[in-house]
Amino acid sequence: MPPKVDQQKCDGCKGEKEALCEAICPGDLMYLKEDSLKADCRSPRDCWDCMSCVKACPQGAIETRLPYQLGYYPAKLIPLLGSKRVSWTCIGQDEKVERFSYKNRND
Amino acid sequence: MAKGKILVVGGGIAGLTAAEKLARAGVAVALAEKSPYLGGRVARLHRYYPRMCPPRCGLEVLIKSLSRFSHAEIHLITEVTGVQRSIPGLYTVTLQKKSTDLNQQAEELVIDAQGIIIAAGADLYNASLIKEYGYGRLPGVITSMEMESLFRPEGPTGGLPVHPVTGGPLRRVAFIQCVGSRNKNHLPYCSGYCCTVTLKQVQYLHQSLKDIRTWIFYQDIRTPGSKEEYYRHVREEYRPVFIRGLPSSVEFKADSNELLLKSEDTLSKKRVTGSFDLVVLATGMVPPALTHFYGIEKDTFGFFSGHTPCEPSELRRSGIWAAGCSQSPMDAGDSVKSALAAVTQCLVKLQQQPSVYPEINTKKCDRCGRCVKECAYGACIMGSDGYPAVDPGDCRSCGICQGGCPLLCINLPGYGGKKIEEIVDRALSESSPGPSILLFLCGNDTYPAWIKLVTQVNGRGLEGIIPCSVPCIGAVNAAWINEALISGLDGVMLAGCHPDQCHHAVGTSLAATRLENLKETLSRMRLEPERVCLTGITIDESAKLLEEIEKFRTLLEKLGPNPFK
Repeated sequence: MPPKVDQQKCDGCKGEKEALCEAICPGDLMYLKEDSLKADCRSPRDCWDCMSCVKACPQGAIETRLPYQLGYYPAKLIPLLGSKRVSWTCIGQDEKVERFSYKNRND
Repeated sequence: MAKGKILVVGGGIAGLTAAEKLARAGVAVALAEKSPYLGGRVARLHRYYPRMCPPRCGLEVLIKSLSRFSHAEIHLITEVTGVQRSIPGLYTVTLQKKSTDLNQQAEELVIDAQGIIIAAGADLYNASLIKEYGYGRLPGVITSMEMESLFRPEGPTGGLPVHPVTGGPLRRVAFIQCVGSRNKNHLPYCSGYCCTVTLKQVQYLHQSLKDIRTWIFYQDIRTPGSKEEYYRHVREEYRPVFIRGLPSSVEFKADSNELLLKSEDTLSKKRVTGSFDLVVLATGMVPPALTHFYGIEKDTFGFFSGHTPCEPSELRRSGIWAAGCSQSPMDAGDSVKSALAAVTQCLVKLQQQPSVYPEINTKKCDRCGRCVKECAYGACIMGSDGYPAVDPGDCRSCGICQGGCPLLCINLPGYGGKKIEEIVDRALSESSPGPSILLFLCGNDTYPAWIKLVTQVNGRGLEGIIPCSVPCIGAVNAAWINEALISGLDGVMLAGCHPDQCHHAVGTSLAATRLENLKETLSRMRLEPERVCLTGITIDESAKLLEEIEKFRTLLEKLGPNPFK
């Protein structure tokens, strides 16, 4: 299911030519709307749920909904990036919450 | 550091003072004045207080001295048409220089300026906007600036204090104070200099005319400091009539060629009417319109004021200083003082040792430009290679760019991500019974308050707190907070200055926005958003800091341990 952009939180990467979600999307699906300079997905059906944009967004403004087959609303999968670790919060359709956090960078 | 001139915008008393002092210090200066003459408004005065000497004298000393230096350029009839920051540390300023020969085309000048002193002065409030005084409509209603020229040999009356329209003698003169000033429909502020100007003009009149009566309609006479002594002198020596109340109307009586003033004396609660030969309006000042300077903060009235009281002349664009009436309404003496302050700041910038400034990892940077947008000082700009670059001379080491970088590729040495990671790792390896809290402390206010607190309580009651000082609370990157939370620390507290007291102007408010965004994400993750909080602490509020910590700890105890633990 396509990314949903919180229009309040999105700041259009401060009006830059290419927002971070736009730059990272492997399918070139994200763009900044001309009038509001907020991000949006141009072709929701083409999204593969890779969640790159969710992780890249510095404002935490993007959320992807899980595909219906995996779990209908309110099931969620939310990544949160630290400086060395990444965490995943998995909320099932039965509201069960599972959390994973592991190191993904060594330097 | 890049080399360039210092550009002084405005050739009034402030601009001339600044340019002359810099030239004497051996700095290459360029002075741009939009009118065809130097000296600005001071050149059109008859005398200036407190010594009552002619301003010509002071101005000529400055102009003579300035024109002696080969490294000082003076450009008249020249206006700034563009200011660009192209290389770190340099402004490329385009100027349009007109010629006194009307047949000639205006010439375009480009100056590489290492710094700019804005001494563009201020305009006088348009007195005709106050309809009831009839300025521009009634003969004999003049502004205090026009009153000055009545005493000057090159003025319209040849220096004779006579009626400027009829040429008749002056017997009764009224002064109206606060013309536009302290009136929310016109100028909400006090211009500060007009009371003393009126006192000075009362002195002019009484010294040159024997049978003169002067009246002053005022709200409050404001003569702070040593000017009070001058006020007392004028009051006792010349005995003008003070009426506390501003006139409600000025009418012209054609048969007797007199102006009729109606007012209320608010002290005696009586109506006052008087007829006068001349009415002088003491007008306030309005800020200059300088449209080519981008990103410079103005105060609520539109003047270019720096961070008072710490850095009054340094504006938030590094390398741009304000002096004279562009800063706030002021008299000649204060203009000179503010010009000297700007010169000092400018020389400090030119001579200072390089400070700690952020390093940018261009391998990781994807040129999003957030650092350029968020830098409060304009010190971080997109360099010619397309990557952000910071000029060490411009940077004030606040680390706000580091806090905003989504890719963590900006590092302020000594305060960067490495240090935070070490602190977090160390905290995780130690175990304490209560909640573990990562506490970010702003280096300006909160860290000193914390140090004082630690010595006061001797560490008791602060178990489980992991302190971490940052130059500004805006230097805290959201990824660090995430890191702490997903590693299993129970809470993160950001203690910064109060938003309106932030030394780097936008640090606390940026941190607040970042935290609000994070809190929303946390609540979606079913992680209590209360685990992160921001608080404002001033340097003397150690007790409040302790209180806030205790409150936060009680809250965390109620919430239980971090589910990521």
